[in-house]
Amino acid sequence: MSRKQTPLRPYFERMPDIGKPLSEAELRRSKENLDLVREQQAILAKENERVRNAGIPAAKIHERGGMTIYDRLDYLVDEGTWNPLHTLYNPQDNEEGCTGVVNGIGKIEGKWAVIIGFDNKVMAGAWIAGQSENILMVTDMAKRLNVPLVWLTNCSGVKLMEQETVYAGRRSSGAPFFRHADLNHLGIPILNGIYGTNPAGGGYQGISPTILIAHEGANIAVGGAGIVGGMNPKGHIDAEAARALIDATKGFKAKDPGRVETHFDKTAYFREVHDSEKGVLDGIKDYMRMMPAFDPTMFRVAAPAEPKFPASDLDLILPANQKRTYDAVQVLARLTDKSEFMEYRPDYGREVFTGIAKIDGFPVAFIGNRQGVFPDYPEYAKGAYPAVGGKHYRQGLIKQGEFVTLCGRDNLPIVWLQDTTGIDVGDLAEEAELLALGQSLVYSIEQTELSMMCVVLRKGTAAAHYIMCGPQANNNNAFTLGTPLTEIYVMHGETAAAASYARRLVKEEEAGRDISPILDKMNQMIQDYQDKSRPAYCAKKGFVDEIVSLTDLRKYIQAFTGANYQNPKSITPVHQMLLPRIIKG
Amino acid sequence: MSIEVAAPMQGKVLEILVKVGDRVSYEDELMLLEALKMENPIYAPADGKVVEIKVSLGATVEAEQVLIVLE
Repeated sequence: MSRKQTPLRPYFERMPDIGKPLSEAELRRSKENLDLVREQQAILAKENERVRNAGIPAAKIHERGGMTIYDRLDYLVDEGTWNPLHTLYNPQDNEEGCTGVVNGIGKIEGKWAVIIGFDNKVMAGAWIAGQSENILMVTDMAKRLNVPLVWLTNCSGVKLMEQETVYAGRRSSGAPFFRHADLNHLGIPILNGIYGTNPAGGGYQGISPTILIAHEGANIAVGGAGIVGGMNPKGHIDAEAARALIDATKGFKAKDPGRVETHFDKTAYFREVHDSEKGVLDGIKDYMRMMPAFDPTMFRVAAPAEPKFPASDLDLILPANQKRTYDAVQVLARLTDKSEFMEYRPDYGREVFTGIAKIDGFPVAFIGNRQGVFPDYPEYAKGAYPAVGGKHYRQGLIKQGEFVTLCGRDNLPIVWLQDTTGIDVGDLAEEAELLALGQSLVYSIEQTELSMMCVVLRKGTAAAHYIMCGPQANNNNAFTLGTPLTEIYVMHGETAAAASYARRLVKEEEAGRDISPILDKMNQMIQDYQDKSRPAYCAKKGFVDEIVSLTDLRKYIQAFTGANYQNPKSITPVHQMLLPRIIKG
Repeated sequence: MSIEVAAPMQGKVLEILVKVGDRVSYEDELMLLEALKMENPIYAPADGKVVEIKVSLGATVEAEQVLIVLE
């Protein structure tokens, strides 16, 4: 008789329970909170819809017999696995209302991939401001997670009226070609479905991936056929030059260069050509089946299981009132398999929790801020003040550094659940070495080879937003999510207004002058901080990679985890892991 | 049997959410204490009736100071 089991079963099959059902009282008093969450969700849904409708109407593409980028994604991606990213990203406030690319992480033929395509409704997929940064975030993610990058190219090249916003510079629209070269060099395949006319930048977008699959009407070329005039010796356009241009354009009959007749029939760059748009996507699916992926059984430590408590509770647990405390472990209990968590050093550095949980049966590390007040802590304050959750103190920083280092050794991907107001300040905090310990945590993160994802549950503030693997952790952070309750700023608006105007207030008062103009400025500043820290603004500016509803958090964590374990570059045999043994003692 | 509800930390009484005579259930919010810029709810430790409120709005209270008595 054969017998099989998951590894280190005594540690992982049954881990300590966390969380509890919401009480009647909690349910009663959370109704208002639910309204506030839904209010933000409605704002975000409206914004998402605006981006989806950017450019020409989808009906026009359909009338031409074509598919929009959203149609292509719907056909390509396995049902229920799409996790969009950067939807509202538009850091330079383009008139198009978006950056012209649509991306996210999803499964194709059962395998995770980072997927990106040009929005062919928006200037036929032109290069527009902010787009290259969006693409670079996506190429970084494929590199971090070591999963294929799938492109749906349909790129008309530079928006010529605004070339200065896209063409030149270190992180401009040419940089993705080098990123594609980097991914290829690292052994990360890039599959490219090519549609439409792709001249110049579009041509390099077409040629730079690993596998090229074209629609029959597609082309890729160094330059387009549309540039009918050469240099005008006059240096300006007068009536005579305009006449010549009109005549040349009317007489212009040339086809686009780099068509299928060239790049399939002659150069053989294109592996496949399809006479239907769906055929191209079927070609990508065929190649996705060839992509390297371990069976999940290789790395699972238990059978996948849902949390014991409903995700809908999250809208009731996380207070919209940013000054309200809550039980962060109740949040964690709505995210992990069977609501279990094996906590590392619970009695040390109590302001943060660190430990191992399971997501879809895979081991995953979690680190998060606890909330509330911690009497008789931090130890270095000797009772001068109590610790408050959301802040970081000496023990918590040391614990996080230790834990991250051990996760690096055990190859455990980390999910950070941030709701932080900063690191403790003052002479006692400096003597307790908090400045160095914060940076030490940054070092601990960077020296691992781990993928991490960050969720800013509510507040991401001060340097604490950085040290808890915010998006600044360029080499480790795969992506960062916000929620309908996220606020990200260097400090609270009231604190900033006080810091900026306190001396001025003293001066005005001592001079016997009216202080109300200063108060107006302070209140304006507070309002400005509020406006520029809300979820939609955070998404637009790229402070986070996406704002997701609290009920969708686990879905993104599942995607992160599944992608991480699909084809890892480094493996720690589960039976050789140290952390579970250290936790058990 | 009376139950004394005490302040878990030093703070300022920001809001009193019940009045004498109210019936409350386990984990109902009785009061909000502002401490360290955060609003900290004080919950009912059991079902009961509010028989005495020993602090006033805006008062500064010490840790362990009795805030409310339930019966």
